[in-house]
Amino acid sequence: MRAVTLLLAILATTGMASAQDYLNCGLAPGWEQTGPKRQYTPDNLFDYKDGGAEGYLAYGFVAMQGIDCKSGPDTMSIDVSQMSDADAAYGMFTANRDPNLPNAKIGMGGQVQMQSAVFAKGKYFVEIAQVAANPASDNHGMLQALVTRIADMLEGRSTTPETLDWFPKENLISAGLVPESVLGMRLLKRGYVAKYKQGQAFIVQEASPESAAEVMKKLRARFDGASDAKIGDEAFQAKAQYLGSICFFRKGSYIGGYANLPEPKDAVSQAALLAARIP
Amino acid sequence: MKSKNTSRRAFLSAGLMLPVVGASSRMGLADTGMGLFRSPEESTGKASTPAKLEYRTLGRTGLKVTTLGFGCMITSDPSVVQRAVDIGINYFDSSRGYQHGNNERMVGAALGSKRKQVVLSTKTDTGTRDSMQKELETSLRELKTDFIDIWYLHGKDNVADVTDEMIEAQQIAKKQGKIRFAGVSTHKPQILLPWMAQKGVFDVALTVYNFSMDSGVDQAIATATKAGIGVVAMKVMAGGFKDIKPSDPLYAKLKTDGAMLAALKWVLDRPNVATTIPGMTDMDQLEENLKAMAEPFSKGDQRVLAAHLDAIKPIYCRMCGQCDGMCQKGLPVADMLRILTYADGYRQFALGRERFQELAAEHRAVRCCDCAECTVECPHGVRVSDRMARAQELFA
Repeated sequence: MRAVTLLLAILATTGMASAQDYLNCGLAPGWEQTGPKRQYTPDNLFDYKDGGAEGYLAYGFVAMQGIDCKSGPDTMSIDVSQMSDADAAYGMFTANRDPNLPNAKIGMGGQVQMQSAVFAKGKYFVEIAQVAANPASDNHGMLQALVTRIADMLEGRSTTPETLDWFPKENLISAGLVPESVLGMRLLKRGYVAKYKQGQAFIVQEASPESAAEVMKKLRARFDGASDAKIGDEAFQAKAQYLGSICFFRKGSYIGGYANLPEPKDAVSQAALLAARIP
Repeated sequence: MKSKNTSRRAFLSAGLMLPVVGASSRMGLADTGMGLFRSPEESTGKASTPAKLEYRTLGRTGLKVTTLGFGCMITSDPSVVQRAVDIGINYFDSSRGYQHGNNERMVGAALGSKRKQVVLSTKTDTGTRDSMQKELETSLRELKTDFIDIWYLHGKDNVADVTDEMIEAQQIAKKQGKIRFAGVSTHKPQILLPWMAQKGVFDVALTVYNFSMDSGVDQAIATATKAGIGVVAMKVMAGGFKDIKPSDPLYAKLKTDGAMLAALKWVLDRPNVATTIPGMTDMDQLEENLKAMAEPFSKGDQRVLAAHLDAIKPIYCRMCGQCDGMCQKGLPVADMLRILTYADGYRQFALGRERFQELAAEHRAVRCCDCAECTVECPHGVRVSDRMARAQELFA
């Protein structure tokens, strides 16, 4: 057992070492590294990110490596965080992107601005931030080229989590992973939330249909005046003070639904559409 | 050295003798339309028990804040913030840097028209006059407000980290009416708070503070309070808790016996702390934390915290640095304890081994079992020789 553990550890260490090639200022022409490489783990990320570290830990942060680069008076930091899995890395990206800006096709998803960029690929979440002597300088092109090169060197998938495809696309603003307490309820531990022009939808997967049924029972008990709806294996609708009109359903081990809609009938009809898209 | 443990225990006990509510505080009742301790999801008008709210004055700002504030950093659903406002919680904290600004955006949307009912704080991570001004404008826009109540310089752990330019930028923002009060957040209160007290230009300090910390922090907080600085406590449930990960055998115990609430109540029992900002992600957490304002720190809480200090003591390194230079073989004890935590605490064996291999060769070659007696005595009770031997067994 111990030998197996040691072997796995060596393999993991080797993988980490080879994955560090992307931490290279030279990937951006005219830039060179300044200072040593930095490394953080869950227990000292606070030293670097202060309270912001909580946001990383919530998404299954494993480790971060980063470097600082300079080009004349301009500086640039590159930080690559390894998350627990690709879904968590994508969740980290969705939590950090600007929902008002379009996504770029970098890895699973990315955003490049005039002096900053973020993207996720595989289990990696990458952040690049420049401090330019001229605050108005537009380095979008250079950053686009840099993140493309880094993404090419990172292992892992470039496709978004399958669950996101199940959300209807009409009037969709953004969608991503919520690592805990979906809709502000601890019962819904971890799942995907899609924000629409009106209302929001969610999908949570439980370990089994039985455990999902148990969660549904507890959820229903929390909403006064909940009434049955005919969706999936079971469903209910209700009006709530902070979540507006809601409709939650269970389909196998999945719990999904809509919230923050003006009328219960809207929530029911939208939830029915969502349920039909879940295989 | 051992006397420190004793004094910490005595300090926990002494908490019981302090007044439950500070002289500047008052109790209030807020009829929220919801029960305080009933099911935490929304209600549709059932008979309710009002939440007990405790207020204190935030130093020279004169702001009356609820002793339970709301750290928004990991909150994803605005409904939790909205409910906290409706209950009467009136201190909310964010930062420009949290989730690349998305946290401020969420808080701004959640508060909406109720923004002026609350005290709103945020933080800046930049350091030049221009960049701070730019960040402030962005914060105002995202938080949908004309002014920030408290604008912190974020995460300053050394006096040298706070430059005259930063202070000037805060003062300019104050004169412009874009912020009401200037603050600093720190993880090193012993260093920053006495300096802030002398400096005279800061109104509020946001500092780590919890039951597991050295009593020197209490003195630093008292000094700041005496100088009129309002003290806001963060990481109130950290130290002995947040550093314990779900993979750790201690985690379940720490999560199940009211220790989190006891730790929060311990901080609220210190009259020099005006408010606290525990992070809250759901209604359940909010409901649980509200109890801290309604219930005094009790003998039961004291027992829980004392037991947890004992539970974490043999393994939990607080990185106080007091073991520096104690090892006769020159081992970097704190570094090795941290490395061991990667494997034992976080199940990151590969990472632990990698860090161990980065130690100097002469340190990697040391075997603690070769020493007749260990010269390292941890002031907090970590069994250093046992832990070092385990690190060598695992990684060497």
